[in-house]
Amino acid sequence: MSSNRESWSKTPLGADLVIPGLALAFAVYFFFSIADLAWEAKANGVLIGTVLVVLIGIQCVRIVVELAGGKADLGFDRVLKPRDALPKRLGMVLLTVVFIAALPWLGLTLDLLLAMAAGLYLMGARKPSHIVWTTLGVAACAYLMFIAFLDSDVPRGPIEKLISILF
Amino acid sequence: MTWEFLLGQFATQFGLWWVIWPAILLGIIVGILPGFSPQNTLIMLLPLTLAVPVEVALAFMIALYCANHLAGGIPAILVKIPGSGGAAATTLDGYPMTQKGQAQQALVLCFTASVFGGLITTLATLALLPWLSQIGLYLRSVEMVVIMLFGLTLIAVIAARDLLKGLIAGFFGLLIGVIGTDHVYNTPRATMGFLELYDGVPLVPALIGLFAISEALVMIEEKLIVDSKGRQRAMRAQWTDTLDGLRMSLERWWHIVWTGFVGLFIGIVPGAGASIASFVAYQQSRMWSKRPELYGTGIPEGVIAPESANNGVTSGTLVPTLALGVPGGSTAAVMMIVLQYHGMVMGPRLFSTNPEVAYGVFVSMAVAYIFMMFTILPLARYMSRIVLIETTYLVPIIILVTIVAAFGERQYVFDMGLALVFGVIGYIAHKTNYHVTAILIGVILGPLFEQYLVRSLRISEGDLMILFSSPIANTLWGLLALSLVLPFWRGWRQRKAQAEAFNEEW
Repeated sequence: MSSNRESWSKTPLGADLVIPGLALAFAVYFFFSIADLAWEAKANGVLIGTVLVVLIGIQCVRIVVELAGGKADLGFDRVLKPRDALPKRLGMVLLTVVFIAALPWLGLTLDLLLAMAAGLYLMGARKPSHIVWTTLGVAACAYLMFIAFLDSDVPRGPIEKLISILF
Repeated sequence: MTWEFLLGQFATQFGLWWVIWPAILLGIIVGILPGFSPQNTLIMLLPLTLAVPVEVALAFMIALYCANHLAGGIPAILVKIPGSGGAAATTLDGYPMTQKGQAQQALVLCFTASVFGGLITTLATLALLPWLSQIGLYLRSVEMVVIMLFGLTLIAVIAARDLLKGLIAGFFGLLIGVIGTDHVYNTPRATMGFLELYDGVPLVPALIGLFAISEALVMIEEKLIVDSKGRQRAMRAQWTDTLDGLRMSLERWWHIVWTGFVGLFIGIVPGAGASIASFVAYQQSRMWSKRPELYGTGIPEGVIAPESANNGVTSGTLVPTLALGVPGGSTAAVMMIVLQYHGMVMGPRLFSTNPEVAYGVFVSMAVAYIFMMFTILPLARYMSRIVLIETTYLVPIIILVTIVAAFGERQYVFDMGLALVFGVIGYIAHKTNYHVTAILIGVILGPLFEQYLVRSLRISEGDLMILFSSPIANTLWGLLALSLVLPFWRGWRQRKAQAEAFNEEW
């Protein structure tokens, strides 16, 4: 019982290593990428990267001390909790990846229509009227802003082509 | 310049209300959306601005530009999504005010600070134009290195609660800011093979990812972005809250004035912009405050400082454009193209050959700010209701719309993916207390700092002593040292006073 209580009170610090880990990996890659360049091109990066590596080292030592003292563990609860929000969060990230990947084929308006509807459903919206009106409203605004008004280079799809034929 | 001439200019500009109102509304819409810059909008509207008389074109461009600077603070306050880099610092206290149920007051503070900060600095520019135009000549790369350091020290200020994590975030951002070709030989650095990164990490996808997407991913956990107390306050929002915001602004009128001048002076330097000005103003505001520990918890000064400075930049940017023919920023460059198309020759002679245009620009700006106050202030009450929309609807709208907006600046689908990557990094940073603002400061100021530092070192052939070679730079170094030492000295005095009071009690 007491060991359970101890494990509950431990601070999960595994997630605290993600940003330093990313930063360290990027710093190492950065040093490799500038190895052959002139001093003007690498002076600033070397200075920043070196300080960053030192800071990450201190942070790692701090975490190791916490772990050794039994005050912390390498859990990822800070990033993963609350668990009930995790499927929605991962779902939204995945949906965004699919949305970006499908954009060149579906065009902005159709892609946004489908992604918005899926996003609203994923987030728990169930009233068909709410989903339909929100989706249509957002897609129409995006069409008006990006295509009708700004005439940007955003990929066009079947809906844009149909509208250009009609009007 | 006589009073008669000036009054005539004001009368002319007020007569152009029919072009100023639509420009303000368009500027607000463009400003609210991250990824839409005033310069891109003006470029797209070039056929219109080139076709109308020069004074009409100027009134339109100026009103759109000023409204854009004001509107960036609206989403920064309501949903922690800065509409532009200049509004990023507004999120630090604006969003906590919203979470406390004070969205309406925060919006009013943003509007009044923007309008009066912009108005006062515009009038000051009108009065002091010949002298202000000289400032840009004295602030060279050496002085700019120190000004950049003023902004960068904000990383340490933000990191006050966990210095190590804040510094890691800040230096990570600075290193990300070094991505792209170098400033001397144009050799690519750490671009991971992506051509899209040769110009460096674009600001808009970084801004959208670190703030909008990361915040939306956090929002999923709650039904509303405000707690139940904040919800009650938002539901009961009355005109009295607008008046309360006005009262808060009036009580801090001096804060609006001096932070506006920080923006004006930084805006005068070509290349420096609203992002730097707002971060420096926030940092200075906190440094000189009697209650610096409250910054970041949702206090009025934390909204006023960046917003006033952000709008002080608007008139500052146009000073070198008109007086020297050197555009102070990209929007000023577009305005210069329009003016040159209409036959104006930029530079000191403009003030004698076409005074109605040279001074008219600033009169137009002052009039635009006056119009803006009456347009935007009544909207605060209705805008603040956005906090009542459930996250079920808000999250997909924020993520998908801002991802599309990431496309806007450079028109690359790559930037949409980049925004998502920054969003995931921002989410992890948010949950593990590595401050996202510290990362963003690094991304924004890092390239500029490197540019000025390398330029200085090239001039001196690598001798670091060049950084201490001018009286202005040395004065700025002194002020920087003072602003860093001051909080420690103040903390020491407070502890000493508390210890003395404790001893007296016993």
